Parts: sequence; C-alpha cells; structure tokens
Amino acid sequence: MDEKITLNIYRQDPSVEEKGHYQKFEVPLVDGMVVLDAVRYVQEKLDTTLAIRWNCKAAKCGSCAAEINGMPKLMCKTRVDKVGHNITVSPMGAYPLIRDLVTDVTENWDILRQIPKFTPREDLEFPWKMHQEDIERSKEFKKCIQCFLCQDVCHVVREHSTPYFGPAHIVKAASLDMHPIDSVDRSTFLNKVGGLGFCNITKCCQDVCPEHIHITDNAIIQEKERAVDMTYDPIARLIKRKRTKETRVV
Amino acid sequence: MIGNQNQARQKSNRSMTRLIPKEFLEPNWRLWSFILLLVVGIFLMVTYPVYYSKSTGLTDPFYSPTVAVLPFVGLFRLTCYAYRKDYHRHVFNHPRNCEIGFRGEFKGREYTGETRFFRLENLHRYFMYFAVAILPFFYYDLYLSMTYQPGFTLTLGGILLIVNTAFVTIYTFSCHAIRHLVGGNVDCFSCQHNTRKRLFSGQTKINAHHETFAWLSLTMFFLVDLFIRATVAGVIPNIVLLH
Repeated sequence: MDEKITLNIYRQDPSVEEKGHYQKFEVPLVDGMVVLDAVRYVQEKLDTTLAIRWNCKAAKCGSCAAEINGMPKLMCKTRVDKVGHNITVSPMGAYPLIRDLVTDVTENWDILRQIPKFTPREDLEFPWKMHQEDIERSKEFKKCIQCFLCQDVCHVVREHSTPYFGPAHIVKAASLDMHPIDSVDRSTFLNKVGGLGFCNITKCCQDVCPEHIHITDNAIIQEKERAVDMTYDPIARLIKRKRTKETRVV
Repeated sequence: MIGNQNQARQKSNRSMTRLIPKEFLEPNWRLWSFILLLVVGIFLMVTYPVYYSKSTGLTDPFYSPTVAVLPFVGLFRLTCYAYRKDYHRHVFNHPRNCEIGFRGEFKGREYTGETRFFRLENLHRYFMYFAVAILPFFYYDLYLSMTYQPGFTLTLGGILLIVNTAFVTIYTFSCHAIRHLVGGNVDCFSCQHNTRKRLFSGQTKINAHHETFAWLSLTMFFLVDLFIRATVAGVIPNIVLLH
C-alpha cells in the first residue's frame, strides 16, 4: 500500500481575498522526498493554480524559502522524513504576500543599495594581491544565498517596526568591512542608520541559516564591537582613528 | 503657566518611560521571578557570608576576593553576549522561541532592543577588564586550598576549586569582547605579526563554546558555594585525597 503524507498549504490571493486559509492535500510518499517535491506534486497533479517559487532544488538559489511547521526553512533542503507526515507549509511571514507561497522580497534590494559599496584602498597596485588568511572571514559571508530565512525568523524584522536592516544585510556589510583591501568602516553607519542596536543577539538567524553562516557570532557581534569602538570606547576610538587615518568611517 | 507645567511634567514622564524599558512594565512572571530570585540570593549572600575557612582551606568563589566585587562580576555576566541571548529570549520573551507559533512575541509590542536602557550592554568590555583583573584571586584561592596545611594537600573541595577556576578562566577568555580585542578588529592579518592570527584563531575556537562555559561556570559557582557552606556546617567532610 502506498504511504501518503498530508500537506497543509497556505492559500491566498491578496488581490481577491482578505484572509488566507490552509488547504489540505494528500501526496504519495517517496523515499528521500523533500518538501519541495511534495509541493511540486501538488502543483503539477492536484492543483495547478498553486503559486510557488523555486529554481535550483539544490539549496543554492534561496528561492524556495518558506515556513515549514512554523520554522523558516528551504523547501528543497527539508526532508519529509525529518518533519513528519503532517506538514504545514506557509509563506515567509515577514514579507508582503504576492500569492500562496510566494512573497515580495523587494525591500531587501532597497536595503542593499543603502550599504556603502566596496571601496578598495587607493594605494594598491593592480593586480590586487590578497592572502588566503585575510579573505577567510569575508569568504564565510559570501556563502549567503539570499534566501532571507534569517530576515524572516528575526523578531525585529518580523514583529517590530524599527530601522534595523536585518541579519542578511549585516552579513553583507560585514563581508565588505572585513575584506582586506576595503577601506571603509561601516559599523558606525550600521549603528546609526542600519539600527544595529535593535538586534538583541537571540541567534535565531544563525539557527535557520541553510549555509550555516555564523551570522550572530561572526558578523553581528563583530560589527557591534566595532561600533562600540567608535561610539562607547573613547580610547579605542582614538587608537582606531590614529591607526587608520586613511580609513573612512561612514 | 499651567500649560507650561503640564508640558514639563509630560516631558519628564516621557524621559522616564524612555529610561525604564517597556519590558519591565509588562506583567511578565518570568521577569519578576528572576528578579525575586536575584534579590533573595543577594540578600542571603550578604546576610550569611562564608569567606575563607581555615579548617578546610577553601574560599567561596562568591566572596573572592570580597563580596563587594559581585556587582561588577554580575554586570560582566549580565552584559555578556551569551547571557544576553538567554535572558532576552527566556526572561523578556523577545522572542521566547525561534519557531513561529511559540515566540511569545507579537506585532505592536513595544521594543527598543539595545538602543535605550539596554544600550548599557555596550559597556561589556569594561566589565570584562574587571573580570580579568580578579582572575588571579581565584588562582590565589587555589594555592591556599593546597597549602593550608604544611606541605601539599589536595582535598575534594580543592578539586572543585580547580574545576571552578578552569571554567571561570575559559569563560572569561572566550568572551566576545576579548575576541574583538585579539583580532576581531583586524581586517588584514598578513599585515600583522602571526601571533595575532594565532591568537584570534585559538580564541575563536574557545569562543564557540562561550555559552556552554558561561552556564558551566555559573553552575559550578553555586555548587562550590553550597559545598563550602555544607563543610562549614559540618554536613559534608572536606575529604583529604592527597597530603
């Protein structure tokens, strides 16, 4: 007898419905199946009007981010046998809904545009030379696939109206700040404009990151400490300003 | 005139509400039970002190070097990134759980994060300097526990002090503020002496366990305190293992 799983998928078309609802679907279980397989089965065989966004099915494009049984996860990386046979799939609640499981993440591109861009030191000769040990820290952040699961789980972004950019953008800024040939210090900018002070280190972003980036430990706390240097520690500020006269603090 | 007074009162009320975080004004049993435990604990420690016990050679870690340093050590822990995560989650429910249905957090709830009252958490590095400064006292207590009798003595309490001192040392040196100091603020390690990179890499390894050691060292503090109180009361003998 074929085993089946039950999917509860959130359905709403905001252009015609004010409130959404969960619709039940029964899907045959296949060995090694991931949630995206089950959702695609529904879209192809049971209800072709279901809106989903997916692309690579290899956890590298970040398109299929959703909330699976209440936890923000990538549908393509979540095995059905790990989450049980009764699965609830909802869209990311931190973003405006376009339809069903598809959300509008445009605001992230607007935030990214605000972060001071990569600015190489002026004294460098081409081709730029970098040591492996210097790029390791920045490289960790380059693994970000921009799935925005960290933004979705962050209570500051999701539940409160603050200027906080969100973990994904602090990671982006940290990747530039820790770059060995970048000359700009973005920590003060992040603190004053990016609302870095609103993060209270609850580490949910780090817990949900599908690329296992140490978002809080390696990006947010590091940026917070750099901001402390420039804002709350007069001695560190003096030393930093003296040492890096050419460094521009944004 | 009255209007001016009202305005001034409103302004003062506003600055008061700005000063007192909203979290302290919510009917939150977790917060008030935490504060009650803290007050009772401090009251008991001040009322019933146990300092250095000559008969066992043991010094209570809460009183090392004196109970007067407790506020600073307490502030070091309260502003620590590891504990910040725990109390913002489990005491203030910001959020209690990462899972969407169990967060204890909701839209419209006032939240200021670490921007107003909790901005004080940015002073963590100053309390860290203090915590490092009092570490030698723990080693002195260890020395005392082994030399309180002529010759070398190792007691059960001495072993507890060794474990406690090790946990406190690892906890203190795995601090994120120290991580920033030894290399977190450096973007170009190849431009510096290799010790900087080595220090940073080594510290990063222990920093990954900072939270574990935060709780281990705190638990050990209480265990050692209870053990010393029990030996002073004559409930448990401080067994001599080696003399």
